Amino acid sequence: MSGDKKESNSTLLALTSSALLLPAYQAANAEAPPEFTEVGLRYSNYEEDDTASSKTFGGSSERMEVDVAQFHLLAPVADDWSVALDVSWEDMSGASPWFVGESAEGDSKVVMSGASIEDTRTEVSVTTRYYYDRGSAGFNYSRSDEDDYESDAVAVDASYDSDDGMSTYSASLSASADEIEPTQGVTPTGTLKDEKDIRSAWVGVSRIVSKRAILRFGLSYTYRDGFLTDPYKLNDERPDRRNEWVIQGGYRQFLVTPNAALHVDYRYFNDDWGIDAHTVDIAWHQNVGGRTAIIPFLRYHTQDEADFFANSVDFSERYYADDYRLSAYGAVSLGLKLRHDIGNWRLNLAAERYQSNNEWGIYGGEESPALVDFWRTSIGLDYRFR
Amino acid sequence: MSFKRHWLALLLLLLGFSVQAESVKEGQLAPALNLPLLGARADESMSLEALRGKVVYLDFWASWCGPCRLSFPQLEALRQELGPRGFEVLAVNVDEFEDDALAFLDAIPVTYPVVRDADADSPARYGILGMPTGFLLDREGVVKRVHQGYRRSDGEKLRKEIVQLLESTE
Amino acid sequence: MMKLLSLLVLALMLGGCETVAPWERGTLAKPEMQWQTDTMEARLKGQLYNSKEAASGGGGAAGGGCGCN
Repeated sequence: MSGDKKESNSTLLALTSSALLLPAYQAANAEAPPEFTEVGLRYSNYEEDDTASSKTFGGSSERMEVDVAQFHLLAPVADDWSVALDVSWEDMSGASPWFVGESAEGDSKVVMSGASIEDTRTEVSVTTRYYYDRGSAGFNYSRSDEDDYESDAVAVDASYDSDDGMSTYSASLSASADEIEPTQGVTPTGTLKDEKDIRSAWVGVSRIVSKRAILRFGLSYTYRDGFLTDPYKLNDERPDRRNEWVIQGGYRQFLVTPNAALHVDYRYFNDDWGIDAHTVDIAWHQNVGGRTAIIPFLRYHTQDEADFFANSVDFSERYYADDYRLSAYGAVSLGLKLRHDIGNWRLNLAAERYQSNNEWGIYGGEESPALVDFWRTSIGLDYRFR
Repeated sequence: MSFKRHWLALLLLLLGFSVQAESVKEGQLAPALNLPLLGARADESMSLEALRGKVVYLDFWASWCGPCRLSFPQLEALRQELGPRGFEVLAVNVDEFEDDALAFLDAIPVTYPVVRDADADSPARYGILGMPTGFLLDREGVVKRVHQGYRRSDGEKLRKEIVQLLESTE
Repeated sequence: MMKLLSLLVLALMLGGCETVAPWERGTLAKPEMQWQTDTMEARLKGQLYNSKEAASGGGGAAGGGCGCN
């Protein structure tokens, strides 16, 4: 009986990075292991706005909600090593876009997956790092598991300081193997089992600009190979290959008088699916006294549509997709973080509002009726063993 | 002509050629040092000359150097144990802001002398290549070892070296 | 694009004209001056944006397969 309405919409196969692209624990001058062990626990809630009734067939529809719990541990080992463990549990429920159709008036409207979805994903990531005279090298293994999807990834990274310590050169290589076995539920899917491989390489240089500022430049290449289509979407047939290039820059500037740090990060993305994207992240770390920090942040992302994206797909074409994530739009995210230290404890609070709109992008292209807006909130506690 | 030189200089800088004083090496006599004590007793000063005859660990440190959180308690323990036999630690603080140094010592207090070099003149004269850097001096003030950075088990290694230096001239 | 790139590289090179001595790096050692200041946040945001957008990578977060729609 197809009474098992448990459909997993948790898998965003083609569009996720399941490989480590930038070493998670690379500090600007990571020449020594952490002095003390630290642990952290965090809870986050992610909730998408309902899709407006004007954009759907049959009334407004609720979308996805996710509860996330994260655990983090970083500890020195012997003289020259450190180990880091990151675990996350995600609990997802709700509906997501199934396909886009055209109304009698000629508007594009989205049909949401009908059933209520429930899925859990667990991810474990372990990194061991060795610190030598002027840098460090790390090895990471990650595994992600959920009902219909599993992924194994490994990554290695290394960094080295120049003689005068003004520059740090780093590189990273990663590979992942993913397997999908779609849940045969309410949304008919023709895929029984398939897989994909991802390979990625990254090089970067970080440079001290002055006593108060640093600058970073990075370049990466990613190759995806295998089943990249989304099996839960009705009108979705993607190439089985994808080449991606990323150029990024980062800047950190400390301002003495206000006692704050300005963070600016920029990323340019380009792939052979016709997608071009720019992303800018700006944050202001304002210290308040010696134990508190208030951090407002802003993110702007804009992307071009994939070559084969269309709201009304052409089935005579080799590739087609009506997935909003491959459409052209601009997205703005505004958020605030709060950090407060009490002895060896640290309290973290964050809230973020994300909104996307075709007009906010710098590229033309069709507006997808399924563009998403969401709220994200987080609360967490860290402890340092001194 | 100067354009080419300009670009060459930039290239060299990018490749990391350092442009600072010669680093003090093992076998050399430690350069003279005379600095005011940190904090309340700033009217008093301490010099390396005054410590001649003792085995000295000259430690260049700052509140922001992570490994100093490991080195300070270990150096304090060494000084407590081997002080009577003629061992001393002289810590030279090079923080930009003195308050940061005082806050560090509030959290990790030590009984050995801590002096302040506000102009950061001595680390330049010693040719420090990283923080922290320690110089182990024998009773004549000659550098026996340059200690770059600080790792957890360095206290043990230092202890052996200090005892050896103390015994060789006791 | 290339112009922007070469400007960036130039800035990188010129930025180091004046060497910052090892003992002058106190400000750069501050936690708020690191490339990544919050590991868990970086991982969460990385996962979030990568699963909702077409672009990915360039973040400080590690990825491990995905459950994202």
